[in-house]
This record gives sequence, C-alpha cells and structure tokens, in this order.
Amino acid sequence: MRGLALVLLIMSGCAFDVSYVTRVPTTFEPAAPNGPNWVLQQPQSIGVGSGFPTRLRQGTHWQRAGTIPQGDVFRTGDQIVTVEASNTFEAMVVLRDNTLVGFYLPVEHSFVAATEPVKLPIQQGAQP
Amino acid sequence: MTRSIRPFRGLAPLLFALLAALFLSGCATSGATYADLQAKLPPPPPGDGRIFIYRSTVAGAAVQPSVKLNDAVIGSAVPRGFFYLDRPAGDYTISTETEVKRSLSLTLAPGQVRYVRIGIAFGFFVGHVYPELVEDAEAQSDIAGCHLTGS
Repeated sequence: MRGLALVLLIMSGCAFDVSYVTRVPTTFEPAAPNGPNWVLQQPQSIGVGSGFPTRLRQGTHWQRAGTIPQGDVFRTGDQIVTVEASNTFEAMVVLRDNTLVGFYLPVEHSFVAATEPVKLPIQQGAQP
Repeated sequence: MTRSIRPFRGLAPLLFALLAALFLSGCATSGATYADLQAKLPPPPPGDGRIFIYRSTVAGAAVQPSVKLNDAVIGSAVPRGFFYLDRPAGDYTISTETEVKRSLSLTLAPGQVRYVRIGIAFGFFVGHVYPELVEDAEAQSDIAGCHLTGS
C-alpha cells in the first residue's frame, strides 16, 4: 500500500513532459520582400530530438523571411510547419548553404537545431 | 453444486445507461454547424485574423477542459463543437490542461484564418487534451459537422 502511495505521489508530480526540444534564444532580422526563394524537390523528414520529426512536402515554395545568426529563415504558405514535442510550436526552416540546420520559432524567438543537418534537394529561384 | 456469484450483474444496464447519458451530454448537439454558418460569417475586422478552435471527435467526451489563449480562458473543448475568435495580428499561445498542460504557439496575420483542432490522448488518470494546428483544407472538412458553442 505504501508502495502504491509512493508511485501515485511520484506520478502526480510528474509533468508528463517526456518529450521536449532545446530552444536557443535568437535574434531575427526580417528580410525585404521578394527575396530568394526555392522549391523543395523531394519530401524531407527532419528530427529535432523529440521523437516527432517535422515533415516537409515535395513541391512546396519557400521564401526568405529573414535571417538569424544560425542561418537564413524561410517560410512557406503551402503547408503548416511545426516543431512538435509535448508542446507544439509553429516554425520556419533555417538554411545555411542549402542545408537545413534547424527551425526558427517566431513566437518564442528561438532556434531549435536539427538532430542531423539535411542537405535539401531544392530548385532555386522557382516562381510560386 | 456451486453457484457463481456475480454481484455486479444487475448493475450492467444501469452502468451502460449512465455511460450513454454521460457520453451524449458531453456532445455539442445544439447550435448551428460550421457548414451552416461558414458562408454567413462576416470577415474579421481590418487588422485582425480569425482562429477557429474545434474538437471533431467524441472520444473522451467527459473530459472538456477550458481552452486558453495567452492564458485567458476563451472557451471549452466540447466534443463535436467549435468556436472562433477574432484577434489582432500577432503571436499567440493556445493551451489546454487536464493533468498536464499542452500548448500550441502560432502566428496570426491580418485577415488570416487559422484552424486549431483539440485532440485527446491517453493519460495516467485523465486523458491528455492537446491543441494542434491543422491545414485549411483538412480543417474545413473536419469541422463541417461541428456545432457552434460560443465565441
């Protein structure tokens, strides 16, 4: 009985936030409209260590929204992009030399690094 | 001869009736549906965007936590129900809480419409209710039969 009480006590104090991402505060500098853009040529799945990868769809158009110290920030209107753990964050992708290095969270003003940077198969300058 | 003792046998119909009543009482069975209202809704005021919040299933119907926008209560997660609100463009966090708190952060642009579905997952004592951002096309199909519960 004591053991059960102890388990219940521990569980009740557990936040159940078993999945989380490491967010690094960063500074976003918006870019002028009509900046560089590209189209993703193949679907991609990018992990952030939470167990819930972010999937990017083939054929989505991306436009540069700005920069952060970690790279260039791109957004798309063709799909919803989120970083998911116990909580969910709307996100934009961060590229350095056509390699996706992580995600920018505009609400949290934070950067989340990709578990493994991914060289994206992209077509530069494609018109949406 | 041994006789099996089943002390709860007579309670089964009662239990079933109670569960059915609980299940049905948890559903948003009144109010216009999204499909009825969609074309009649005025656009959000200039500078504002609109957020629809809905729960498309009746799973875990007894669990109906409050839904908060930036920590202020804006409604309840009623099964088969929806509500919406217009807010100035900006950054928002939508959260729900049962035995744990789950949140979704999103941006809202002027004139933009966002759809947030309230899902439910297994919990330790109570189901975990969580908000998720849904693509417009999927959401409009998902929400069509949901009933307005207030905004």
